[in-house]
Amino acid sequence: MGAVYLPSQYGMILVPLANVQVKPGDKLRITCRYSHIGQAENQTLYAAIGNSGWAGFDEVLHGSKTISVPEDSAWDYHEEYVDISITTAISAGFYDLYAKIGGAIPEVISPTLHDVVEVLADIPDSEFGEISITGYIKA
Amino acid sequence: MAYYADIVEIIAPSKAKPGGRVDITVRIKNTYSSSVGIMAGGALEYGVSPWPGISFPDPSANVAGGATYSFTGYFTMPEKKATIHAYSYYYGADGSWHFDDEMTKTIDITEGIESQFGSIEILSYSRR
Repeated sequence: MGAVYLPSQYGMILVPLANVQVKPGDKLRITCRYSHIGQAENQTLYAAIGNSGWAGFDEVLHGSKTISVPEDSAWDYHEEYVDISITTAISAGFYDLYAKIGGAIPEVISPTLHDVVEVLADIPDSEFGEISITGYIKA
Repeated sequence: MAYYADIVEIIAPSKAKPGGRVDITVRIKNTYSSSVGIMAGGALEYGVSPWPGISFPDPSANVAGGATYSFTGYFTMPEKKATIHAYSYYYGADGSWHFDDEMTKTIDITEGIESQFGSIEILSYSRR
């Protein structure tokens, strides 16, 4: 289970984050809130799951979409979501999650949420291998 | 001093965004004692020649004696400060429009704030 440090009147507190379980074929919907000021523009909202490490964030799956950012004459908050399709390209395990706005050079990046996505193993469709009679009695 | 069509006021914003539509109203008073045909016109001065015109979809009206009529018009704000020149004309007994009055008003451009993002945070994540 992941966790995040948040400021409080007692100093920094560790708030545990619930994780979400997904499996191939699912979509993971990430809802973000961002702050903006200035002229309207179209931007890319991007989110990825993967592994955060000393060398950066090793993305395994990602999703993106174009969002219409409205004109804001003062700092304002907006919410948007983006979906990541869970495919068999990712193996079972716990993964980190982050989101950003922008392209290769992002405008803004979210804090990384650690171990909040649990990918479950892809369970194959129901199949029957064989059947054998293990006993026979008078009923 | 106008003969019949006295421009009382130009109603327009003091600032406008370059490239945006600016709506204006020119209020013209018929100073004559009975009805007169009055027409509004306008042009925009900002360093180009000839001055671009201001569109008035309904430029003329029969205005009762002593009444003030509002003519609405619009133009596209140029990239720099511009001066509105509003004109009035009256319809004479000779069947022609006669220039009567002029008024000006200046509009500055609004400096647009470049788009900036302050922060982004993940509010929720759920399986769909």
